[in-house]
Amino acid sequence: MFFDINKIMIGLLLVAASFASCKKLIEIPQNPPAEITRQEQFTDSASAISAVAGVYTYDTGTGFAYSDGTLTYSTGLSSDELTYTQTDDRQEFYNYTLTPINSGITSLWSYPYQSIYQVNDVLNGVTNNNGLSASFVKQVTGEMEVVRALYYFNMVNLFGGVPLVTTTNYAANEHIPRNTAAAIYSQVFKDLADARKKLTSAYPSSGRARPNLYTAVALLAKVNLYQGNWQNAYNEADSVIKSGLYSIADVPLSGVFLDGSNEAIWQIPAATDYSGVADAQLFVPYYPGAPLNYLLATPLVSAFEAGDQRFQNWVGSAVSGANTTVYYPYKYKDRQPGTPPEDQMILRLGEVYLIRAEAAAHLSNLTQALADVNVIRARAGLAASTADATSQAAVLNAVMHERQIELFCEWGNRWYDLKRTGTAATVLGAEKTGYSADAALYPIPEAQIQLDNLLIQNPGYTN
Amino acid sequence: MNFYPLTKRALKSRRRPLNQLFRIMKLTAFIITIAILQVSARVAAQKVTLNEQQVSLEKVFKDIRLQTGYDFLIDNGLVEKAGPVTINVKNADLKDVLDVILQSPLAYEVVNKTVVVKNQQPSLFENLKDKAAKLLALPADVHGKVIDSLGQPIIGANVILSIKGYSYGTVTDNKGEFQLNKLPQERYTLVITYVGYDKLEKVVDLNGSDLSLNLVLHNSSSVLDQIQVIAYGTESKRFNVGSVTTVTAEDIEKQPVSNPLLALQGQVAGLNITATSGIPGSQVLVQVRGQNSLNVFPNLNNTIANPTKPYDQPLFIVDGVPFAAQNNNVNQLASLVTAQTYTGGVNNGAQVGISPFNNIDPADIESITVLKDADATSIYGTQGANGVILITTKKGKAGPTNFDLTVNTGFNSASHPVQMLNTQQYVQLRENALAADGLTPNSNPNDYTGAYAPDLTIFDQNKYTNWEKAIYGQNTSNTDVHGSLSGGTANNTFIISTGYDKSTYDYPGDFADQRYTLHSSLHHGSTDNRFSVDLTTDFGYDQNNSSGFDGGSDVVLPPNLPNLLGPSGNLIWNYKGVDLTTDQFYAGLQEPTYLQNYNFNTAFHISYKLLEGLTISANMGYNRNSTNENSQMPAAAQNPAGFVLRQSNFGVTTFQTVNIEPQINYTKKIGRGIFSALVGGTYKKNVSNSTQVDASGYSSDFLLNSVNDAPQTSVYNMDTYDIYRYSAGFARLNYIYNSEFILNLTGRRDGSSNFGPTHQFGDFGSAGAGWIFTEEKAVAKALPFMSFGKLSGSYGTSGTDGAYAYQFLSLYKTIQYFPAFQGISPTSPFNLYNPDYSWAVKKSLNVALDLGFFNNRVLLNATYYRDREGNQLVQSPLPIQVGLPAVLENLNATVQNKGYEFTINTTNIQTKNFSWKTNFNLTFNRNKLIAFPNLANSTYANTYVIGQPTTIVYGFKYKDVNPTTGLFEFYKADGKTVTSNPAYGLPSAGGDEVPIADQQVKYMGGFGNNFTYKQFSLYIFCQFADQNAQNYLAQVYTSYQLGFEYNEPEAVLGNYWEKPGDVAQLQRLASGYSSSAINTALKFGQSSGIYSNDTYLRVKTVSFSYQLPNTFLNKVYIKGASVFVNAQNLFTFTNYKAGDPETPGLFTGLPVQRILAFGLNLKF
Repeated sequence: MFFDINKIMIGLLLVAASFASCKKLIEIPQNPPAEITRQEQFTDSASAISAVAGVYTYDTGTGFAYSDGTLTYSTGLSSDELTYTQTDDRQEFYNYTLTPINSGITSLWSYPYQSIYQVNDVLNGVTNNNGLSASFVKQVTGEMEVVRALYYFNMVNLFGGVPLVTTTNYAANEHIPRNTAAAIYSQVFKDLADARKKLTSAYPSSGRARPNLYTAVALLAKVNLYQGNWQNAYNEADSVIKSGLYSIADVPLSGVFLDGSNEAIWQIPAATDYSGVADAQLFVPYYPGAPLNYLLATPLVSAFEAGDQRFQNWVGSAVSGANTTVYYPYKYKDRQPGTPPEDQMILRLGEVYLIRAEAAAHLSNLTQALADVNVIRARAGLAASTADATSQAAVLNAVMHERQIELFCEWGNRWYDLKRTGTAATVLGAEKTGYSADAALYPIPEAQIQLDNLLIQNPGYTN
Repeated sequence: MNFYPLTKRALKSRRRPLNQLFRIMKLTAFIITIAILQVSARVAAQKVTLNEQQVSLEKVFKDIRLQTGYDFLIDNGLVEKAGPVTINVKNADLKDVLDVILQSPLAYEVVNKTVVVKNQQPSLFENLKDKAAKLLALPADVHGKVIDSLGQPIIGANVILSIKGYSYGTVTDNKGEFQLNKLPQERYTLVITYVGYDKLEKVVDLNGSDLSLNLVLHNSSSVLDQIQVIAYGTESKRFNVGSVTTVTAEDIEKQPVSNPLLALQGQVAGLNITATSGIPGSQVLVQVRGQNSLNVFPNLNNTIANPTKPYDQPLFIVDGVPFAAQNNNVNQLASLVTAQTYTGGVNNGAQVGISPFNNIDPADIESITVLKDADATSIYGTQGANGVILITTKKGKAGPTNFDLTVNTGFNSASHPVQMLNTQQYVQLRENALAADGLTPNSNPNDYTGAYAPDLTIFDQNKYTNWEKAIYGQNTSNTDVHGSLSGGTANNTFIISTGYDKSTYDYPGDFADQRYTLHSSLHHGSTDNRFSVDLTTDFGYDQNNSSGFDGGSDVVLPPNLPNLLGPSGNLIWNYKGVDLTTDQFYAGLQEPTYLQNYNFNTAFHISYKLLEGLTISANMGYNRNSTNENSQMPAAAQNPAGFVLRQSNFGVTTFQTVNIEPQINYTKKIGRGIFSALVGGTYKKNVSNSTQVDASGYSSDFLLNSVNDAPQTSVYNMDTYDIYRYSAGFARLNYIYNSEFILNLTGRRDGSSNFGPTHQFGDFGSAGAGWIFTEEKAVAKALPFMSFGKLSGSYGTSGTDGAYAYQFLSLYKTIQYFPAFQGISPTSPFNLYNPDYSWAVKKSLNVALDLGFFNNRVLLNATYYRDREGNQLVQSPLPIQVGLPAVLENLNATVQNKGYEFTINTTNIQTKNFSWKTNFNLTFNRNKLIAFPNLANSTYANTYVIGQPTTIVYGFKYKDVNPTTGLFEFYKADGKTVTSNPAYGLPSAGGDEVPIADQQVKYMGGFGNNFTYKQFSLYIFCQFADQNAQNYLAQVYTSYQLGFEYNEPEAVLGNYWEKPGDVAQLQRLASGYSSSAINTALKFGQSSGIYSNDTYLRVKTVSFSYQLPNTFLNKVYIKGASVFVNAQNLFTFTNYKAGDPETPGLFTGLPVQRILAFGLNLKF
């Protein structure tokens, strides 16, 4: 009797077990309808290019970082460009009372890393991929390296040495310490040098939204300048200017930031078809008379020379309360896109002239330096610089002054300039209170240190 | 005595050895299998009406069986001997009728609803033999066969033949037969017991001649022995070792609710049912024995005080088919339903929506079974880790065709409305608020000092509108009609029922939820009872018409606000230059939202008995739940002075399940016990998808029904998709020894498509054991009043794959809502590659003591359980340098739920005319996080605390109102320092946010009393719960600041600080955001001050019915009729102020409804 049962039961259990272990029964399609796997994404250039487009798409969190205006307002407040009229935690940038839980800090740290992951994933996807043509891989690799260099360049300037991540395996990257600033710079140089080999002078698509050779070179000029490699900075800037692809003289001040601007080396379209770039959303009032959150700081307003056309073109004004006129950044004017629309400027020839000017001044080529400054001044409707052409210090001052005016509220230039030239303490210390050497670097977000306890907080901040 | 089937006339009476004769008896069709119709049995008990002319005895028996439910046992030969019968009686006693038709030489005996017909005179030879045996005191054999009222043999019934001191026991075999040999001559008591059947007791005189007995067991009337549905089968409470509770149609029918889940509230220990609002069709949350999982999707920012927590809900199975939508919202567009933000006690941020169960008619449900512990659920494996709810719909019953019609109509109103301030009180409050801020109200809208107060300077100071009443005050109606046709023969039964239900909204407007259902079930069994098929099909169509915008929050409109509607019902947007756009809720009510939900469920069961005791079967099912939605924003509902944009949104949501479960059942008597085995497999496929199209820019309000007429550039689409495939093999082995010891083992292997290729399979199992100690003679003797006692326990594992498909892959998706980049559609990665995660595992321990006293008139159950879910599947936060904020992985964290459940069922009084029955249940569940590695360094740091419940809430610890400053004061993180300005963030970040409240339910339960007196019956059911929940101040201090231009609940009056020295509950008023008191007010909204005890007792159901007398009904050819009044949520006793205690923290929402329904039930 028991024998029978056993025999039956064993048979049945075998049937059940085979039912349970059948992999066929739990097979599902390889990918969900609205999503594809990484392998599928990089099967051919037509789909791989979508991932590349994703890197540039102006969408905080999953696309192009710094697309939310945070880089502009934070560095503008920390330097002497902006003041803030509200009382939320953005005020901490102005007062140098930043805490590691500041929401702006979180954006500045997190979005670039999310973008870097995308870049790394694209690089990973196109490398050793037989489905893609060599020229395509070359172009995309170069572009992605420029993007990565841009991110790390800004990260190192905002935070100092940060974790250097160039791969996509989270397990390998989730518990790593900060690299030194030098290591970050070295990666930036490496990426740009490689990009320079891979890219050509032709933009890969219409407009100047995706980097070409000179985008890499212009960024290389900027990085060399920041690192004090004057000759390299000079040479790179020189080659951009001499490429003949860009011009300043025929670009009116009102047209600098428009799509198709001939001054643009790298500019990215606004986030959507129905809104302007983030900076316009930040600064331009909703309607005439609407409250302003950000005002141009007095040191900047008073730094404009009389008759500077840039004041007319790039500064907006409003009357507040008791007949006080207040000013706001007005480089980007359209909350809603106009025709042609405005693009977010990342690199332009004006800056490259000033890079060459500064490098030339350091190389004691003072005539060249002033000549470059005067190119900028001429477009602004100003007479040639009156700086003493024999004094390196005077010429450098003229260059820095021109940088302050020409590049105000453009992604941290002023904040970075004050820091790299060692003038932050003097300038900011005189203009407002609270600045200390520690304030030169922003804190690392607290949550990130909790998640990766190898990250050491910047001095002057407590978690 | 020989037994032959009545229907097998070919078999002639033959003399054969007894054992051969009994073999014939396996042809058990001699019982014409008409099940007992409970109603007719009760009403017309033992009364017979017959008008037969010259018909066979067999025919008469059939008719009597139909009328009385009595079965007949008769020898074929005797039928032939008896010849034709003529009888004409009306409402005669059964006994009288039997006396007439069973005259000599026939005699009869009535044993337990069975009429045994026999020959009066034994033959001469038999007489002699018997006499001799008696004289010689020869031992004799007893042979018997036990069958049920359908003629099926009962395998494993316990047979005990006893006489003072001795007893002879055995168990029936696979044919339902038993044999006891060589028994001495005595007068014995024979007791036959079997699960699900009433005990059969009979005196047996053994006088030397062999005895053969035919015994019929009847379905049990005791709660203990009633069959309840369990996983893949049925079992009685007596032999069940798992934790299983069943709510039957009887309890459901008395509650005039349209969502069957609501009928479970308070009925089942360990089951927490939460109504999210009083809106018709709205979601009902269900949880069995607490929260087991932790998964929270982390934020980039670590500072959010109260993150969204998950809420585990059980697996829902309808007629064996996993319900495709489970308990997910079926809607995706906003409507009045979603406008009710539910916060009460759950803190899962669940967006309230339309419940999928709204499309099942409670009247079609036969029973709802709740499976709670590992023994009961582990056969469902990974799907059953959070408990299982089995819904079984009504099946046809053999008998005359029966038509049953129930009509009821009811009136609803808010069960616990909030009293808001009247104009005079409001104006006073506002004036005080402005004065507190040193402001003089003015009518200048450009005054940014905060002194602009149109309610005090422009609006009529005497006008009064009770907005609570205007918005929620409409008396609504409920109409419910349900008709059911059922009947059939033993081998073919059917039921077809249809229902219509309409519930209207309290809101002003033509809003209603209407449901149309069609239920049917067919059963066919072959005449040899080897083969059977069942097909059950349900179709439900639910139409929910409401509007797209909430008027709910507008109960806080100033009571002196000007009229919002003109004399012709036109919308008023402006009053003396004051823009009323934000107050104009009637506009929102003119934005129609249409929802149509279709539920189709079909369950097919087929089984074939291969051998005696061995049955192969299969369940196959398909469920589809789909929803079409359209919400419109016509220009007519928009302020013409603003930017008018006509908009129309379209949504389609579909959930589907295919389920196939082949099974083999094996039952065999082994020794003195019964062994049964179930081996089976499951294949399940779930697919859900939704599509939404948002279109705008229409040129006319009349085109909003179609997407075609919107300009192409303003159409936005999105869809979602999820697929799940699951397969499993399982076995359940059960052995019941001597009706005393029970052992139950289950094991299974599960495969889930949610996991990476190497982690798809997992093994789970459980063991359960029970000891019915009252079967021990010593116990029975020592405790004679104890009729039943069982100690049982179980331990087992189950898993959770609570993840979506494809989460282990690195995936790319199109970046939505952003234009193509240079003509290229952009994509971005959104998932990190982690193929290594696998099942979260729950280990459950359950120990239960069941006691029955006084012949089981008092039944008690006490259960202790401890569930621990470990290897938690969570979105583990990652430092962002890796690219994405989190990855799904297993975390070695453990959540424990531990608790006690008590259930009591008593029959207090049971007389001929009067009965009183009581049931009671009480549950204590304690949830605790017992392990979480490196919690302090994770983003869960402000969500959970080790050693504390997972329902913990972070915030500021509130102290009181400073009598001098009149401001709220709080404790800093150290718990000692007092401040009116605590810092946001955790103490580790320098903040002052600490755990301030635990929202878990402390205890809950329900008790019901059922009285019947003659034709009257009265049922009163009360439900209660105790928890710590948000009070009305939560909304006051987070959304409608006290002193602002909002009306407030009356409860604030006299409670706020006015001048130094006042000891007040609430701080000084603040008139606007520029007030110096606003900061502390906002902090208070994040503090322990907005939590308080919420204990309530609700008279949930009162049901009164009257059964019309038969004498009257017989004249109008109606078998039965009753009228009834059912009331739901009749009274509430609570310490909870302002708002409904069931939906705490939300005084602006539409509260749970009080329903009063009047109805009529007719049976034809």
